[in-house]
Amino acid sequence: MGELASRLIEELNCETVFTIPIFGGIDVYESVVVTWIISVILILLSIFFTRNLKVNNISKRQAIAELIVTKLMGMVKKMIGEEGEAYVPYLTTILLYIGIANIIGLFGFKPPTKDLNVTIALALMSILLVEGAGLYHLGIKRWLHKFIEPIAIMTPFNILDLVTRPLSLCMRLFGNVLGAFVIMELLKLVVPFVVPAVFSCYFDLFDGLLQAYVFVFLTSLYISEAIE
Amino acid sequence: MNLLAVGAGLAVFGALGAGIGIGIATGHATEAVARQPEASGDIRTTLILGCALAEATAIYCFVIALMIIVMLK
Repeated sequence: MGELASRLIEELNCETVFTIPIFGGIDVYESVVVTWIISVILILLSIFFTRNLKVNNISKRQAIAELIVTKLMGMVKKMIGEEGEAYVPYLTTILLYIGIANIIGLFGFKPPTKDLNVTIALALMSILLVEGAGLYHLGIKRWLHKFIEPIAIMTPFNILDLVTRPLSLCMRLFGNVLGAFVIMELLKLVVPFVVPAVFSCYFDLFDGLLQAYVFVFLTSLYISEAIE
Repeated sequence: MNLLAVGAGLAVFGALGAGIGIGIATGHATEAVARQPEASGDIRTTLILGCALAEATAIYCFVIALMIIVMLK
């Protein structure tokens, strides 16, 4: 048990891979490096799929690319509605990133979403986008008026929402990924063969993709609420 | 250490709410499918989403219990 506890602490801390020797040394964490790897994977896939696109006589590769893009963007568009169409590409990118980040653990990398800093950054980006979209679509006067809706007594709660929304977004993602990891470790300790593979399908694949979906769904919900 | 374990166990009590919530949601989803089998696809997506949101409270309990054990030791 003590060994497991020390392993958990080791997994909670994000290791520094190397230090950039400028401005007194910038630490580069493991999660950042894995994020770079994910970016490279996504960029290479995009380049591979979008080479010589045609209008007529499309190749199989283009058919797959079109299927992926229309399915994913259609899914996000259905969540956010017609008014928020400008935010669909961003949300789809976040969906792809979190989805791959959650299941990259299967390939032996440490999922970046298990680092609290990454999920905090994602949640902050989301809340900035939500408030920015509200300001852009409504103008400053109506945006401020949103804080005293539906009645003036709700103002403290509306302001509190600015904090609790990103907090719950980042904690949900972090807790789910970490929880799945801990349960899998415990399971591997009890039954070291076959059974973990079955549960891994649920905890790593299904739950990881579901959390990416939930994150994007909630962000799009907040956006469509903010711009109406 | 013993009291820490008790505290962590108490923290996980919050998972009770998530269990009840998911149970109610699933029960009503079953009813809805029985009433309108043709809408089962939509109901399933909504149910999975609702369960994922309700599950979050249980996840918070888990994170807090873990923090009690790891941080306070």
